[in-house]
Amino acid sequence: MPRILSKTELLFVSLLALFFIVVFPLLNASGVISNVTLYQWSKYLCYAMLAISVDILWGYTGLLSLGQALFFSLGSYMLGMHLMLKIGKLGSFAQSGQNPNFIPDFLFFLGYTELPTFWKPFYSITVAGLMVIAIPGLLSLIFGFLAFRSRIKGVYFSILTQALTYGFMRLFYVNDVKMGGNNGFTDFKTIFGASLQEPSTKRVLYVVTAVTLLLVYITLRWLTQTKFGLVQRAIRDSETRVLFSGYAAANYKLFVFVLSGLISSVAGALFIPQVGAINPSEMSPVKSLEAVVWCAVGGRGTLIGPIIGAISVNALKNWATHAYPDLWLIFLGGLFILVVLFLPKGVVSLPALIRDLLVRKKAAPEPAPAAEGVPAKP
Amino acid sequence: MAISSHFLSRLTARHRSIISGALALLAPLGTLLGADSARQVIANAIVEEEADKRIELVNSLVKMKDESVKPLLAAWEEDQIFVYQASDNAPKIPVTLMGDKDAAGTRAAIRVVDEKPLVDAEGKPVRISAADAETAPHNSALRRAFKTVNDLLALSSPDRGERIAAINIFGMAQEPEKLPLLESALRDEKSGKVRHALVEAIALIQLKDSDLKVRVGAVQTLGKIGSIPSRDFLTALEKETEGADKPAISKAVQQAQAEIESHVKFANACGTAFAGISLGSVLLVVALGLAITFGLMGVINMAHGEVMVVGGYATYIVQCLFSEGLHLAPFGFGVDFPGMHLKGDAFSWYFIAALPIAFLSAALVGLALERGVIRFLYRRPLESLLATWGVSLIMQQLFRLIFGANNVQISSPSFLSGHWTVADVDFPWNRVFVFCFAIAIVIGTHLLLTRTSLGLLIRAVVQNRQMAACMGVKTHRVNMLTFAFGSGLAGLAGAFLSQLGNVGPNLGQDYIVDCFMTVVVGGVGNIAGTVISALSIGVADQSLQKVLGDPVYGKILVLATIILFLQWRPAGIFVTKSRSLES
Repeated sequence: MPRILSKTELLFVSLLALFFIVVFPLLNASGVISNVTLYQWSKYLCYAMLAISVDILWGYTGLLSLGQALFFSLGSYMLGMHLMLKIGKLGSFAQSGQNPNFIPDFLFFLGYTELPTFWKPFYSITVAGLMVIAIPGLLSLIFGFLAFRSRIKGVYFSILTQALTYGFMRLFYVNDVKMGGNNGFTDFKTIFGASLQEPSTKRVLYVVTAVTLLLVYITLRWLTQTKFGLVQRAIRDSETRVLFSGYAAANYKLFVFVLSGLISSVAGALFIPQVGAINPSEMSPVKSLEAVVWCAVGGRGTLIGPIIGAISVNALKNWATHAYPDLWLIFLGGLFILVVLFLPKGVVSLPALIRDLLVRKKAAPEPAPAAEGVPAKP
Repeated sequence: MAISSHFLSRLTARHRSIISGALALLAPLGTLLGADSARQVIANAIVEEEADKRIELVNSLVKMKDESVKPLLAAWEEDQIFVYQASDNAPKIPVTLMGDKDAAGTRAAIRVVDEKPLVDAEGKPVRISAADAETAPHNSALRRAFKTVNDLLALSSPDRGERIAAINIFGMAQEPEKLPLLESALRDEKSGKVRHALVEAIALIQLKDSDLKVRVGAVQTLGKIGSIPSRDFLTALEKETEGADKPAISKAVQQAQAEIESHVKFANACGTAFAGISLGSVLLVVALGLAITFGLMGVINMAHGEVMVVGGYATYIVQCLFSEGLHLAPFGFGVDFPGMHLKGDAFSWYFIAALPIAFLSAALVGLALERGVIRFLYRRPLESLLATWGVSLIMQQLFRLIFGANNVQISSPSFLSGHWTVADVDFPWNRVFVFCFAIAIVIGTHLLLTRTSLGLLIRAVVQNRQMAACMGVKTHRVNMLTFAFGSGLAGLAGAFLSQLGNVGPNLGQDYIVDCFMTVVVGGVGNIAGTVISALSIGVADQSLQKVLGDPVYGKILVLATIILFLQWRPAGIFVTKSRSLES
């Protein structure tokens, strides 16, 4: 592999990175771009990371996970615990003189006076940051180990990941779990001592998000071009042949699953200080499926596709939920169907399609990215 | 089974009323033959001057078992019966007052003897004012006699439920003077349930007995029959005997309490198991449709839950059409459906009418889904999952736009309300019905698959699609019909669910995860696996809810168990054997 990026791609990516990491925040600082727009783009970029995490599983390995929102939310919750503790004296119960131990408001409201033991380490942001990696990592490791060991694949894997997410959602709704129940975490004040309301803090967070996305992109671009990436795609196209060639497909899948969980989790952790709230509805099955749609719309099996998909679908959502609040879900559902039926490779395949139409030459038939069920020979 | 036995009881109730009506017609005949009717006896008693004779007359009412006795005695006691005397020497006539007051405050007088308007010598109806008239006299001895008569009549009521209710009231009141009455009733009683109630009531009364041995015996009896209502009495007795040195009683009480406690636990366990089975049978009907479509076509239909909701809303529409009509306003266009304004039993039939409509409407939706979306995706299961999810989002939003975001109320038909009690375990009729219907559906599906030509084609396509196509099977048509059938089953499940809870746009989402779990655990494409997994998931879910005290922990535990179970049997309980590498 001589180089990770081809020349044109390198130019394209650096231009985009330059724009989003340097020019965009500068424009915001000088007041050309409003804070709301910057905030929207921060959100889009977090979602883009989530979409990429779906893509390396689905587009590159043929595993459709409907549980990515779980890892995303877990990342949010882990950092959220730290942010909740940092509210401290500024909480409304503490302000009114109750709550002497400055525990999070919702715990005080539930009748606790002392901080539960498992909350205590989260005073340190280092611990919280480690937990963003450790908890989703461990969960995906255990679940992935069990699932891939018993060769659960295809739609079974999708259903099980969905059930896992659903189970966790129900769990986080319970008040006794001490994770905020129905309302989740909200009303954060500071991060690293800087106020979350300040435009400058938001700008820094935006830049951090954009840089993380760039790093994720480059890392995955490299990974998918190594021999590892080749095995990954081979598993997608015919797992049986990979097994017969002597590869431990389960280990490859487990690695990708954990990696993808971690990317989602980091995206979630970046998401929460900017959006300022997390609650269990973020884990609902529809959230995971939305991420799959971003990936499908943009084009799976490519890394730029999910980014384009996440940004464009969310921009569309942003517009449609205001203009046609009743019809948004119908839009989204229709998008699912149309993309699946008529544009299986997503919008990134559009230029090629148009070019083929113009040249009036049939494109060389390529194998579908997730060709399932290769005719088996006894 | 549930309906038929219920109908039976209704039928006998109707018979009974016919019989009593016939008896009422015969009553005047009895008078002619010399035997006085109950009304006659009461009328005689009211005008009787001698106190002893009057009580004797009242007591003789017990043998008559006439339905008019109770209201008449009550009216007598409440001073609603008046004695009319046209002149000083004229015979006294007992009357009741009927109709509205006129300007002078008088009301029409009705004779107690035959319920006919009282007429004077000229044939004009007599009107009396309640304030001026003389009321039928009664004293405390007489009122005691009334009570005894009423009690005895209740104990000999032809209706088993009324008898049990009367006996339970006696037991709760703990009046020793009722003891001989109950004991004599116990000698004649044949119905097991009533005997149980009698034994319980006698033991409860005996708890107050002065003889220590009788009390201990009563306590032991209560423990033996596992009497739940006696728990409070036993606790009171325990407190009472705490200070006093009566080891025999306190020992017996403790033992009885333990016995009752274990009986309650048993009853609760049975109740939980039954709730689990009925939840399982709903899951079963929903998952059966899913198992068929998934097993046959390898298509994951994420909109299956919404197809089920179509069945629920179809039931709702039929209900509205049977009663007050329906106003819908989708997309701002108001549509009115006139209702038939049926009431009572006629209205209850709506549910029977709704079942085929729910099946057909859901089947039509399934057909449209198959033709419009799924048939393009047979070789791409993951994509079919996404596209059908899109369909499910659209359908949810359409439900919201058409029927509103809130749940709609669906009332249970009268023959499904109430419950059947066996040894303190309640079996609600609607759950019994769902369970029985689920069994019928499983058997029907099994017969369809094994005994019909369509079933043969379906099995051929499942086993080897290409080979079936080569043999001339129109696989596309088989797909279409199977998908419609599976969707129809979901519609039926929606109709059932409307009896267990409300129907709303999100109902499908609540069930879809459980349903997929059921299919995955059962093993794709076979009915037996789906039945076993649906019932075991249902029972496990309900009993874990009870044990852990929280529905959420129960659900999560079930989920974890399923994941571990799939480690042991990755392809479900029953595996369809295949020689192909990738299935």
